[in-house]
Amino acid sequence: MSIEPFNRLVKLAARAFYDDVTTKGDNQPKMGRGDNRGIAVVVLDALTRRQWVREEDLAKELKLHSKQLRRILRLFEEEKLVTRDHRKETAKGAKIYSAAVAATVDNQVGGKEGEEKIKLHTHSYCCLDYAQIYDVVRYRLHRMKKKIKDELEDKNTVQEYVCPGCGKRYNALDALRLVSLEDEYFHCERCNGELVAESDKLAAQDVGDGDDNARRRRREKLKDMLQKMEVQLKPLMEQLNRVKDMPIPEFGSLQAWEARASAARRAVNGDSGSNDPSKISQGYGGTPMPFLGETKVEVAFSGLDGKEDVKSESASTSLKVLPPWMIKQGMNLTKEQRGEVKQESKTDVISAQPDLSDDKKSTVENDDKKNIQDEYLKAYYAALYKKQQELEEAAKRQQELSDIPPATNLSDSNRQVGMKVKRDDNEGDDDIDWEEAPMAGNTTESYKVNDLNVEAEESGDEEDDVDWEEG
Amino acid sequence: MFFHIVLERNMQLHPRHFGRNLRENLVSKLMKDVEGTCSGRHGFVVAITGIENVGKGLIRDGTGFVTFPVKYQCVVFRPFKGEILEAAVTMVNKMGFFAEAGPVQIFVSNHLIPDDMEFQSGDMPNYTTSDGSVKIQKDSEVRLKIIGTRVDATEIFCIGTIKDDFLGVINDPTTA
Repeated sequence: MSIEPFNRLVKLAARAFYDDVTTKGDNQPKMGRGDNRGIAVVVLDALTRRQWVREEDLAKELKLHSKQLRRILRLFEEEKLVTRDHRKETAKGAKIYSAAVAATVDNQVGGKEGEEKIKLHTHSYCCLDYAQIYDVVRYRLHRMKKKIKDELEDKNTVQEYVCPGCGKRYNALDALRLVSLEDEYFHCERCNGELVAESDKLAAQDVGDGDDNARRRRREKLKDMLQKMEVQLKPLMEQLNRVKDMPIPEFGSLQAWEARASAARRAVNGDSGSNDPSKISQGYGGTPMPFLGETKVEVAFSGLDGKEDVKSESASTSLKVLPPWMIKQGMNLTKEQRGEVKQESKTDVISAQPDLSDDKKSTVENDDKKNIQDEYLKAYYAALYKKQQELEEAAKRQQELSDIPPATNLSDSNRQVGMKVKRDDNEGDDDIDWEEAPMAGNTTESYKVNDLNVEAEESGDEEDDVDWEEG
Repeated sequence: MFFHIVLERNMQLHPRHFGRNLRENLVSKLMKDVEGTCSGRHGFVVAITGIENVGKGLIRDGTGFVTFPVKYQCVVFRPFKGEILEAAVTMVNKMGFFAEAGPVQIFVSNHLIPDDMEFQSGDMPNYTTSDGSVKIQKDSEVRLKIIGTRVDATEIFCIGTIKDDFLGVINDPTTA
């Protein structure tokens, strides 16, 4: 969001409406420099280049007397262009503000003065209220136009009458009481003088006699005025239209602004790498504020993105990494060796379940512990593979032989690993579940591998989630 | 705008009206008292259309008068800002003209009369267009819009305009 169109709006409005505003009080004849018209414009311009600013600082930078500045700012406050905040604060409190200023307005040099007293001082701060300025300017234009148009068309206006003798005023609602029987004029109730219709404030002239010529002249004048207004305020209206759909820069209250600014500064000091340089580079002219909300959003984004990335990565790796391993085992397996392999893969699953998931996640994580586990796992797989190859050879031998020898061989191998199997059955419920599933499902040996894979994936995902929540 | 509403009033009846015609006397007195009056709240009471009920009378100590609380239905007329009315012109002068819509007096000041109408003084003061085709004088009928009302406790006064589309003279007595 850009603040520049709004600044332009403020500048245009300042030149249109506050150009001839003078701060000279009624009782200040001793000011020798004459009129200081246009000072209001200077102040507004200066405010467009700042956010919350301490009025003393502003006065110093504008080389104005602080009282003078305060008078102008009070005017703007009444005109709803500026929000002001007054608070009592110690030097410490002033420092908070100075720090906030240092965080946002990098060329604000006069920020820190020697205000090291413990005493409480009332400091005033001021800031442009862009949302309100937009509304105020629009309303002002609307009122101007309406006033002239109403007067032009004499719409819904109650004519006023004034007695030139005693100055008593009446309006058309009193007409019934004022009408006299002698002539066709209204007469004052008090002095019986002839009333005259009051002339309009905008086109002041002697309409007293109600002359048609005068009325026509007045209309011309009003029309002229309306046209002039349209022409002269055209840039302002265009700027209003341009700004209409833009998000309005909002500084919030002084406290909120300070909190944000200091938070932003901390962020800048903390991690100078990530996304803060943009804010710094934009400075005080470009983007108004390092919004805390924005940073938060960015953080959330990065978190989300990371999570998604990791997930997809792990998913893809689980797909990519696993197949070779799976295929290797699957190719090694034959029907005759089903029992052995079953047992082996069973033990494999029980001991390796956590390890498997770790293996997959090792792409994402780099815990030392996990590495160790990986190493162990690799060694374990290597051993397993070796053993399987041995078994395969044995199986080939068996196949070459008749059907009976394999059985003996199988029993041998059973004896080798059989103890383990029994222990496993006693130990884990998981194991039983796992065995049931294959029975219901596939009949070939490849199912074991598939199941292994599935379980590994599941466990891997779970661990992923936990890790990221921790992060 | 007209409304048909129910109002209530405490009627004081003189003892001489007591008798079998008490009720008729009460009603006729009510009509005499109420019709044509104006209250700021309800407007002008145009006519009583019926009696809702008559409460129990209460004899006043000392006087012998009896007070009856009477509820009655009536038609009231109350002008509103922005309302369009048809009115008869009663008086024309340099400052504008006065018109009546029933009981309501309306003043139309000269700057709320179209600019092409000019005041002509004389025996019969009037506002006339430059080509003389339209003339507003006493007893003309005009359609006007109320742009302001002053509502007092006992009277309502309005100011109107004829400077708008479809407003102005609707029936000129001189041509009729």
